[in-house]
Amino acid sequence: MAAAVSPFSGVVQLTDLDDYIGPSQECIKPVKVEKKPGKAATKIRIEDDGSYFQVNEDGESQKLEKAKITLNDCLACSGCITSAESVLITQQSHEELYKVLNANKVFDSASQKLVVVSVSPQSRASLAARYKLTPLDTAKKLTAFFKRLGVHFVFDTTLSRNFSLLESQREFVRRFRRRAEDERALPMLAAACPGWICYAEKTHGSFIIPYISTTKSPQQVMGSLVKGHFSERQRLRPDQIYHVAVMPCYDKKLEASRPDFFIQEHQTREVDCVITTGEVLKLLDQEGISLPDMEAAPLDGICSSLPEEQLLGHAGGGSGGYLEHIFRHAAMELFGIQVDKLEYKPLRNKDFQEVTLEKDGEILLRFALAYGFRNIQNLVQKLKRGKSPYHYVEVMACPSGCLNGGGQLRADGEASKDLLHQVERLYEAVQLEKPEMNKDVCRLYEQWLGGPESEQAWQALHTQYHPVEKTNTAVFNIKW
Amino acid sequence: MKDSLTLLSRIPAHPDSRCWFLAWNPTGTLLASCGGDRSIRIWGKEGDAWVCKSVLGEGHQRTIRKVAWSPCGNYLASASFDATTCIWKKNQEDFECVATLEGHENEVKSVAWAPSGNLLATCSRDKSVWVWEVDEEDEYECMSVLNSHTQDVKHVVWHPNQELLASASYDDTVKLYREEEDDWVCFTTLEGHESTVWSLTFDQSGERLASCSDDKTVRIWHQYQPGNEQGIVCSGTDPTWKCVCTLSGFHTRTIYDVAWCHLTGALATACGDDAVRVFEEQPLSDPQQPTFTLTAHMARAHTQDVNCVAWNPKEPGLLASCSDDGEMAFWKYQRPEAY
Repeated sequence: MAAAVSPFSGVVQLTDLDDYIGPSQECIKPVKVEKKPGKAATKIRIEDDGSYFQVNEDGESQKLEKAKITLNDCLACSGCITSAESVLITQQSHEELYKVLNANKVFDSASQKLVVVSVSPQSRASLAARYKLTPLDTAKKLTAFFKRLGVHFVFDTTLSRNFSLLESQREFVRRFRRRAEDERALPMLAAACPGWICYAEKTHGSFIIPYISTTKSPQQVMGSLVKGHFSERQRLRPDQIYHVAVMPCYDKKLEASRPDFFIQEHQTREVDCVITTGEVLKLLDQEGISLPDMEAAPLDGICSSLPEEQLLGHAGGGSGGYLEHIFRHAAMELFGIQVDKLEYKPLRNKDFQEVTLEKDGEILLRFALAYGFRNIQNLVQKLKRGKSPYHYVEVMACPSGCLNGGGQLRADGEASKDLLHQVERLYEAVQLEKPEMNKDVCRLYEQWLGGPESEQAWQALHTQYHPVEKTNTAVFNIKW
Repeated sequence: MKDSLTLLSRIPAHPDSRCWFLAWNPTGTLLASCGGDRSIRIWGKEGDAWVCKSVLGEGHQRTIRKVAWSPCGNYLASASFDATTCIWKKNQEDFECVATLEGHENEVKSVAWAPSGNLLATCSRDKSVWVWEVDEEDEYECMSVLNSHTQDVKHVVWHPNQELLASASYDDTVKLYREEEDDWVCFTTLEGHESTVWSLTFDQSGERLASCSDDKTVRIWHQYQPGNEQGIVCSGTDPTWKCVCTLSGFHTRTIYDVAWCHLTGALATACGDDAVRVFEEQPLSDPQQPTFTLTAHMARAHTQDVNCVAWNPKEPGLLASCSDDGEMAFWKYQRPEAY
């Protein structure tokens, strides 16, 4: 696709989030200037190195501070917004990971950080396809590669996705039961896709937010788990751990930067850095390593010291399987119906599909998948006109969902479709498991969170959204 | 050449405002105008005079940039700087807004119906082109969001008899799109203009496309199918569009609009130098390298920028134009006798 010029999902591009040129003309980030007492400056001098000096009437000069725009500023602003590459590089890149790893080599043990990498199954499948490896081999060799770089633990976000799925299931049932008294309880809209969340907050704000599931994404649940439970077990403060997520998506960098996921008490983020599948490839290139040549290392488990020798996955497709899990759970919980196989019915296009639960000719549940910007558009417009028939929608910003995320490895032209099929096949080539059946997850609910539905579970597994008010600055720079 | 364009009438269509665009209905009996006053006016002929039949005033919050009639003539679409597109349904003399299409981030610059009447295209300052599908219940759904342009998209136009869409942009290019599987794709980019491309028009056959630009030229692009006799290279099954003629040296400012008459083949332009011009292809010129001659030049057609020119689809030579001065004018074009 020609749109590959920009790494962000189409949705984020449309909200102007991505603008390579730098802060765009509509950026309204007020640059804070520390006013120092004294006479008004008369001149600004620019040095050869690009630094700016303010020169006053007496000829005294003073170096001026650079205005910096962070990802947080961009997320909070409705104007431009830039996530110019420079902004990303300063906080969220494989270069940043290198910095931490190099610092570990020179710092004394008190200043060193424990480095944890959490790999998404989508990224793993993309790398497996590139190197023609099985998912398990890919996981083992990737673990070996990261450890060689100086990483201490390599985890799989499939574990944290169990929590996202279980919490989403429960949340849906709660919402369904209060649908009569709360007209904005349904449809529940999936929340795992940060491109969609960003678009929703900026474009449809307070209208759409009540419908969005409050359940955290697997990346951010992993953040809670690593900086909460895992750090305690390692007898470390959260800020002594540097947590990296490997994701199929650039927008995940924005998600990790949300103030909601900043642990104020310890001045640290749940996920410090997100690198994409493509950036892992860059790391491999930089190290001059081809993944198949790596030795296979045992996999790390977050709960037990025993290495896990098997990969687990979830049913329901490459975007996490939210629809599938919630559907089955709701059918049983609300109507006592055991669903064997879900029938996905493509509607307008392959990225808009419907699943219904019927009994005696009556539709009890109507769920949909809506992937890609055009389908999100139609969904939101239908919702606004009160014509959406759905109880739940698995919304994802990328056409074809997360396996086709902007951070995945690419092929050109026709080959890209073949590659996607291959990645889908590899993604599904793991042992499927129901989140309820995972013993580690059950144990963690008890040991870490004090049981499901506890205050701590709510704190660790749910989040909130914030409408971004539109500031209309367009008036000043209209181009007819 | 002097007498080839004669003024029939001049009307203050959108007084104290700009008149942005004009659109004839398919039978040529009604003309819709839109402007900076956020209104659409529908004009019809009574005797020799053009009179305002209705005013559509309540649809938009900001300037209405363009209007387009559906091929059946029963619907009018309006594109506004308020980021929405309204669909108006005609009931006798009245118009009712039956749908408001939301989705563009900011100013909608243009709107166009496909020849089938089932598809609608819009474009915006947000750099995107959208294709909408219409169902029997006047419900509009977005089929595709195309992000091929790198800047503000100024104009969209459909091929006269195929489902092929063209767009013009501030990025100096023209892009062509077709349907592929369940989405739309840009299959070619026409490069050559040195500044903003403001408008586009297909000829009656759809074999040729004319584009006009801030670079003060009009370019004529010709379609070559794969395996063409001229040996023009095509990629796959897509045709190649090649620039076969550039009209330069005629206009002194930005050319805002270009219109190809499907009855006579005459090509009219609207220019920032306040003039309306008409060009015709020389009868014996090589179709692969055609020569166009200026056959009419009305220097002070309006007192300010001319924004739009529109040929009546049924009455040969009847041309309407409108301007920043808020006025619209009707002209009678007569091909010079040398032709």
